[in-house]
Amino acid sequence: MSQTNNHQAIHYQAQDRECEIFNAAANNKLPVLLKGPTGCGKTRFVEYMAQQLKRPLFTVACHDDLSATDLVGRHLIGANGTHWQDGPLTRAVREGGICYLDEVVEARKDTTVVIHPLTDHRRLLPIDRTGELVEAHPDFMLVVSYNPGYQNLIKGLKPSTRQRFIALEFDYPQAKLEASIICQETGLDTQRAEQLVLLGEEIRRLKDHDLEEGASTRLLIYAAKLMQSSLSTAEACMAALAQPLSDDRDTIKAIERLVNAHF
Amino acid sequence: MEEFIGEVWHKYISAKVATGYPEVALELTHLQSQLSTYFHGLGGAPGKVVEAAEARAIDNHRPLLQRIAGSHRRAALCWQDQRSLRLPPVIDYLPEKSLNEALYFWLAALAAKLPKMSHWFLDNQLATLTILKTHPGLKRGYEQLAKAVVEQRPLIEHLPQKLQARELAIQQAILKPGSVESLPLAAGEPLFVPLWLYPAPLFDVANNQAQDDEEQTSSAKKETNKPQETLDTPRKEAQRFDDEKQTDGLLVFKLDALFSWAEQVDMDRSQQEDLDQDLQGAADDLDVITLSKKRKAGSAKVKFDMDLPAPFTDDLYLGPGIKLPEWNYKKRAMLKNFCFLQPMVSDEATPKKLPNNLKKEANALKRQFNLLRPLSALQRRQPFGDEIDLDAWLDIKTQPNATLDGENLYLAKKQNERDMSTLVLADLSMSTDSGVTTQQRVVDVIRDSLVLFSEALSACDDPFALYGFSSIKNKQIRYQLLKNFSETYSDETRGRIMAIEPGFYTRMGAAIRQSVSVLKLQKSKQKLLLIISDGKPNDIDHYEGRYGIEDTRQAILEVKRQGIQPFCITIDSQANDYLPYLFGDQGFALVREIQQLPKLLPKLYLNLTQSI
Repeated sequence: MSQTNNHQAIHYQAQDRECEIFNAAANNKLPVLLKGPTGCGKTRFVEYMAQQLKRPLFTVACHDDLSATDLVGRHLIGANGTHWQDGPLTRAVREGGICYLDEVVEARKDTTVVIHPLTDHRRLLPIDRTGELVEAHPDFMLVVSYNPGYQNLIKGLKPSTRQRFIALEFDYPQAKLEASIICQETGLDTQRAEQLVLLGEEIRRLKDHDLEEGASTRLLIYAAKLMQSSLSTAEACMAALAQPLSDDRDTIKAIERLVNAHF
Repeated sequence: MEEFIGEVWHKYISAKVATGYPEVALELTHLQSQLSTYFHGLGGAPGKVVEAAEARAIDNHRPLLQRIAGSHRRAALCWQDQRSLRLPPVIDYLPEKSLNEALYFWLAALAAKLPKMSHWFLDNQLATLTILKTHPGLKRGYEQLAKAVVEQRPLIEHLPQKLQARELAIQQAILKPGSVESLPLAAGEPLFVPLWLYPAPLFDVANNQAQDDEEQTSSAKKETNKPQETLDTPRKEAQRFDDEKQTDGLLVFKLDALFSWAEQVDMDRSQQEDLDQDLQGAADDLDVITLSKKRKAGSAKVKFDMDLPAPFTDDLYLGPGIKLPEWNYKKRAMLKNFCFLQPMVSDEATPKKLPNNLKKEANALKRQFNLLRPLSALQRRQPFGDEIDLDAWLDIKTQPNATLDGENLYLAKKQNERDMSTLVLADLSMSTDSGVTTQQRVVDVIRDSLVLFSEALSACDDPFALYGFSSIKNKQIRYQLLKNFSETYSDETRGRIMAIEPGFYTRMGAAIRQSVSVLKLQKSKQKLLLIISDGKPNDIDHYEGRYGIEDTRQAILEVKRQGIQPFCITIDSQANDYLPYLFGDQGFALVREIQQLPKLLPKLYLNLTQSI
């Protein structure tokens, strides 16, 4: 769990009308589901929106051992016996704020028990360990994200859960936008950024055939950052774009060729 | 003696005129998978495969010696169509291995940017320009290649006068793409340009030259001394020949082309009877295949392969056969002993090694599945264990009245073993004969999927069995054993999988019931029945529509009652209508792109095993 509340301005460039939709959902106290491939800016978007709405953000990266207890809270032993410690979800519900469950499908099934009553008109969080029933703060908002795809074909969200959210689909940004994001994030010159985006698009075409996932915007930014340091362009691309995506030697060699075709 | 001298002469003259550098030759097979990835990355259509091109006849100017030797009449050009990109099987054109390799990649890149060609000379230059612009990294490589290629071409002054202008234009176009706008006219085809793509064989350079000719006649009159001759250069790559009035079986030829009689083979493709002739060999030797317009009763053809195979050619029957019930939804009753299921095994299948085209994928899957051998995970609230479960401890501590008796307060590392047997039941009905592409049938994809699935599962030691089924009414349900649980996956089982062929109809219920009785005998904790299908259950009797679906549903309910998890993978796009009814909301997966099935199947298996 991490709570971000820093005052440094977060950069985010809208791909479409997602900011407006998110704002509308926040004003109407509706929960939001973000879907999209790895590294396309879902987390950044939530951080940005939290800052815009001036609400604290509670991020939970879900994993397959994450249970309802981890979200709601647990008893801890202190000097004066045991006391109750709120989990990130409970804190957001009490104090108001955005609780962001990243990759929610990874979490255990019992987490849905606490999510469901929070996502409909009741906006309640029952804490069975203490017998408490917490009513959500007006500023509380639940945001979950997941990455649809074949690897989640079976693990996908249950329709009964999905139906409770406003959903926004994310994808890698358009070429121009992506280039400007890379420039903004790393200070790379426009020409090389554009070339990098072209290369990224070519690598993304290999998805489902040679690669499980295409090069994310995040990886492109990493590559740009490496380019800005003392590494050569080709080295940076190989380290950031080829090696992380595949273990297959032929595929890596082919990507190397693609890299050399650009730089 | 004559023969001997002939042979010696042939060897001598062939060696004399040989071009290329065989010692640095590079074969396509070594680079195929890299080239295919590269081609797709640069924007080549995703479904297109990279394969070797066959040599085709070219009619360019040859020096005297080559003409004497009768060599250099054919070359493997690079071209593409909807299905695939054809690259030369071997490149030995340039003196260095790295250059030959670069040439392969250059062709793949060019092909990705030039999916359709309307003008050979202009389009190649334009595509070269575009690609060098978008991919500045290729510039230096191209310059090297261009220089090397031009060095291999004949010196302008060594050519006959009338060919010089054209050759000059081509060389310039190679060195400075985009700089030459029209190709000067000359007889024959220009010497082949290894850097460029060629149109698919039926439309060749001559067509474009004809266009050139027309443009030239209007503008530059000087060069139009003999336009008609070049226009009418006899091109015989393919022709349609109407032999309506001819008698079947006679050689047809024009007298003036008597010496080239070998270019006609009277081969009636609409009749399948004369397959025993070696026509394939004959066809390979030909440059031109003439297709007859005559179709013998083509429209009224009846397919008789519905008959069962004769007993002596059929697969080996295992045992006397099994009687199975079937559900009749109208009577709402189980019809006892209604179906007769015959287990069989293909006794003619020969052991086979893993086919080359699957090797890469199979290795990747094997690696992946090897990693998935039992993992250890922490189990909470165990009576014994390595660490204290603080959560459990706290729960007790916070409840004032709780006692410590009989509480499980430890975290234990447990081997999270997958104890699961899987039976894969593949639909081998007639519909799997339909084509995915021109080269690939549904059954081929199913076969590849089964092979890859087996490779993957044998890597992680999960027990599995493979069966196929098809049916003709209730009296003949063919239940084909490909691999049973007790045998290990070997070349023999692979051979059996590779030998699967489309059969008849899909009486799914009976096949599922038999699979249950096979799976039931397995001792593992979890059992999975994986059904691969391409459509609804159906048969030629009343087993279709609702009847078939209801019977299958009953069979699936029986599966679940036995504690077996059923799961269906289908490629039927209408499956959403009936599959949820049969398998439940989460009990099936629809694969839209069937070509993905071989890769998807093992992944689905993983997802299934993790979710159960």
